[in-house]
Amino acid sequence: MRPDDREIDDEIRGHLALSVKERIERGEDPEAARLAALREFGYIPAARESIRRVWHSRWLDALAALVHDMRIGLRSLLRSPGLAITVVVTLALGIGANAAIFSVVRGVLLRPLVNRDESHLIYIRQSAPTAGRENMTFSVPEYRDLTGRVSAIATFSSFSTTDLTMSGLGGEPRIVKAGVVGGSFFDVMGLRPIFGRLLGPGDDGKDAAGAAVLTYRFWTALGSDPSVVGRTVRLGARMATIVGVLEPSVPYPADTEIIANLVTSPHHLSATMEDDRTHRMTEMFGRLTPGVTLEQARAELAAAHAAIVKDHPDAYPGGMNAQITVRLLRDQIASPARTILIVLLAAAAVVFVIACSNVANLILARSMRREGELAVRAALGASRGALRRTLLAESLVLCGAGAALGVLLARPFIAAVARYAARFSVRALDVTVDASVLWVGAGLALAAAVLLAYVPRLPEGIGVIIAAGRVTATTTRRLRIFAMAQIALSFVLLAGAGMLLATLVSQQHAATGYDTRQVIAFDIPPAAAGVGGAKAVDFFKETMRRVTELPGVEAAAIGSIVPWRDAGLLGGPMPFTVEGYQPVNGEESPRAYMRLVSPKFFTVVGVQLRAGRDFSDEDRAGSDAVGIVSESVARRLFSDTDILHRRVRFTDPYLRKLSMRIVGVVADVDDEHVVPQAVMTVYIPVLQMQYGNRLFVRAAGDPYALVPGVTRVVRAIAPDQPVERAATLADVRAEVLSPERVNAFVFSGFAGVALMIAAVGVAGVLAFSVSARTREFGVRMAVGSSPARLLGRVLSEGVAIAAFGIAAGAAGGYGLARIAAVVFDQVEMPGAFPVIAAAAVLAAAAALASLMPAARAARVDVIQALRSE
Amino acid sequence: MARTPPPNDDARLELLQGTLDMLILRTLQWGPQHGHGIGQAIRQQSDDLLKVETGSLYPALHRLEKRGWLQAEWGVSEANQRAKYYRLTAAGKAQLSREQNRWSLLVNAIGRIMNPAPTPGEE
Repeated sequence: MRPDDREIDDEIRGHLALSVKERIERGEDPEAARLAALREFGYIPAARESIRRVWHSRWLDALAALVHDMRIGLRSLLRSPGLAITVVVTLALGIGANAAIFSVVRGVLLRPLVNRDESHLIYIRQSAPTAGRENMTFSVPEYRDLTGRVSAIATFSSFSTTDLTMSGLGGEPRIVKAGVVGGSFFDVMGLRPIFGRLLGPGDDGKDAAGAAVLTYRFWTALGSDPSVVGRTVRLGARMATIVGVLEPSVPYPADTEIIANLVTSPHHLSATMEDDRTHRMTEMFGRLTPGVTLEQARAELAAAHAAIVKDHPDAYPGGMNAQITVRLLRDQIASPARTILIVLLAAAAVVFVIACSNVANLILARSMRREGELAVRAALGASRGALRRTLLAESLVLCGAGAALGVLLARPFIAAVARYAARFSVRALDVTVDASVLWVGAGLALAAAVLLAYVPRLPEGIGVIIAAGRVTATTTRRLRIFAMAQIALSFVLLAGAGMLLATLVSQQHAATGYDTRQVIAFDIPPAAAGVGGAKAVDFFKETMRRVTELPGVEAAAIGSIVPWRDAGLLGGPMPFTVEGYQPVNGEESPRAYMRLVSPKFFTVVGVQLRAGRDFSDEDRAGSDAVGIVSESVARRLFSDTDILHRRVRFTDPYLRKLSMRIVGVVADVDDEHVVPQAVMTVYIPVLQMQYGNRLFVRAAGDPYALVPGVTRVVRAIAPDQPVERAATLADVRAEVLSPERVNAFVFSGFAGVALMIAAVGVAGVLAFSVSARTREFGVRMAVGSSPARLLGRVLSEGVAIAAFGIAAGAAGGYGLARIAAVVFDQVEMPGAFPVIAAAAVLAAAAALASLMPAARAARVDVIQALRSE
Repeated sequence: MARTPPPNDDARLELLQGTLDMLILRTLQWGPQHGHGIGQAIRQQSDDLLKVETGSLYPALHRLEKRGWLQAEWGVSEANQRAKYYRLTAAGKAQLSREQNRWSLLVNAIGRIMNPAPTPGEE
């Protein structure tokens, strides 16, 4: 049994009592006996210590000594608080950034989903990368065929998204993002309700009652009222009962607000949906059969899919190379964020390395000033281990403080990074600060502390005392190398940030061909009452007429997509052909986007008519089918504008019956990509197709001032009609560009921090070198060097460090990009401008940082300097 | 460590390195005893030739206890004070006989070197 300190003391006291008693019995005076016993026993603390040492291991003793050293270290650090603060703040930045980003990486990439048995939950996707279709989804016949042929998956479920107009809950009618699902959906997903029930097999089929489940987020947005369960709402044209509220879970593939059964969407019960093999809008989930691996399921699905493609070549036209991918849902959700998070993690790691090398520099400089102290301690018998322990204790104090501050910094940082990462993965939304931040912080601090303790040299024997205080060439070289490493790493970050900024600037300044400032767009999805048909046309005409009459409105038009915001809504470009066009042998058929627009649309958005005419009210259902093509269609296919009056036709099976006479040619615009690409577009009339869902208004003054008036006018025509998401095209574009802007911003933040640390590093090294060389400068001045020359000398040293660092960074960065190219699909190399700009910024920062030490060198007092040693 | 030379110090013998443990184990063969008693016993039985410093006695006792050769329990001493009594364990007894053997061998060997038996033919 290990005795505690009290027991040891009791034992010693017992010994003394016996000793005194014995002496008194021998006839000694009690007081003399007591003193003699004490004298005989010897130094009590030493005895106590040697007894303790029997029980306590050397490790514990070493720890105790370390704690002691740390206390001393803290005191000695507080004597130079400037240095301590610089080190702590530098480390805190490095540790905080890493801890925060690691938390987000863990939350987004590593944490399991809440879904039951989520390691069996898979997501199946059909894509045609060569045709530019990342996610072409499945048609119901495809879904049926796949589920019939595969046994590796125990249960499948279907999911498709649609915007429905909901009324009867939460005030005005509004558009909700709805998921329409089959009865197996919630069973496959492995989710539970928090109120009521979820949808089950009983909700399937044409005769079931309309039923819907609210997602947790939507339910809280509506005020977290449990009594919504059982309420009846109007969803589009049908009624549905809210049967339950879903537990909080990751929404995928879309952030829906409501999940409803098939009967709530008449379209899902239509023959088109049921029988058309190319009418694809269904997402597919599945749960692996127990005992089946993901690989087996993948193989079986791929084989089944290949067979289906072979059986129905018509459904995959134009050599469309359709593929199927099968992944765990967790991986599928994480994948868009993976690259960006790994890049961020790398950036944070670089900042940490820069911070460490900067701190190493400061500590090295400090320990050189203490070489005398260390040498004296060594001479007095301190072992090398003990000296190292002293250094370790100090760096532990520094790094511990840095980690503590870093973890504090990490909290707000996590929130920012999570909000940023949420653009790529919905999982980032519920990333929380947890203990992992502490562990990462502590781990990094410990790593840094051990590293830093081994940076300074230990004095070798007594000889050093004499040399102490003089700076050896090797140590200054070490200082310089650390400073160069910082510059090199900062350069990589700066060049990366510069590249992102340059991309952003080019995107923002790219000419779009639209008059983005004066045009405001509204979403006006088909309301419950008027779905298509003549009624819709009347609504469109009336809307355009009355909106145009509003004061401040120059013109109004109906369209089918808001540029950029609705990218992908109508699918990718489709193969088409024009009467009289002869493709060169082997040439792929041209592809064009299809857009529905009303008369005056081009006037409203500011796209010029190059030839022919605009659509008019006469282009209506029943009249000759007409179309307008973009300029590039005319030029690419016929090399002039001699395209008018030819007939254009999409070769897609779904649209092939539609043949349009070309009545006009308009300037090229790209409403899919924020940086315009060479795309072709075929426009067809809203009034002829009797379908449109976007309203465009050209304003004379402030476009947003028109919003209340436009909404009032539309509601006056159709009271149930939602009028939503009003935004000018300029703002839409800015919003679409915002992930890029945030990317550039975050990266610039890292680069800025790195730049700051590196500048501090260069300044520190030079300041140290100047103060160590006071005598040298004194001599130089004495023999006639002018202060200006000394100033130039020190400055050029700083610039030399920067130049070497930049060269190393450029070489290293190039190598790094080559390595990264192996890991990632595409790695962009920064252009010349960002590289040169980064180099210039760094060189300027280094020169600026050198200025203060240089000025000090130039002010050296000759007499003082010569006398100082 | 402050160390006061005891009276008539010259006659005293320094303990040989490593023998203290053996002496403690031997002393405890007659029954449990506290640290002070052990020290006194060694002194008395060696006719005041050996004196054990408390600075080495107590660490030695704790070392032996940690190894499992002694067992300690608290009792009340003659001075009416709480005192820690040490008792030999079975493992301690085995250790004692091992050390005793080694000691005899050592004494024998050193004796032969220090007092060599005169061999015929020499001198």
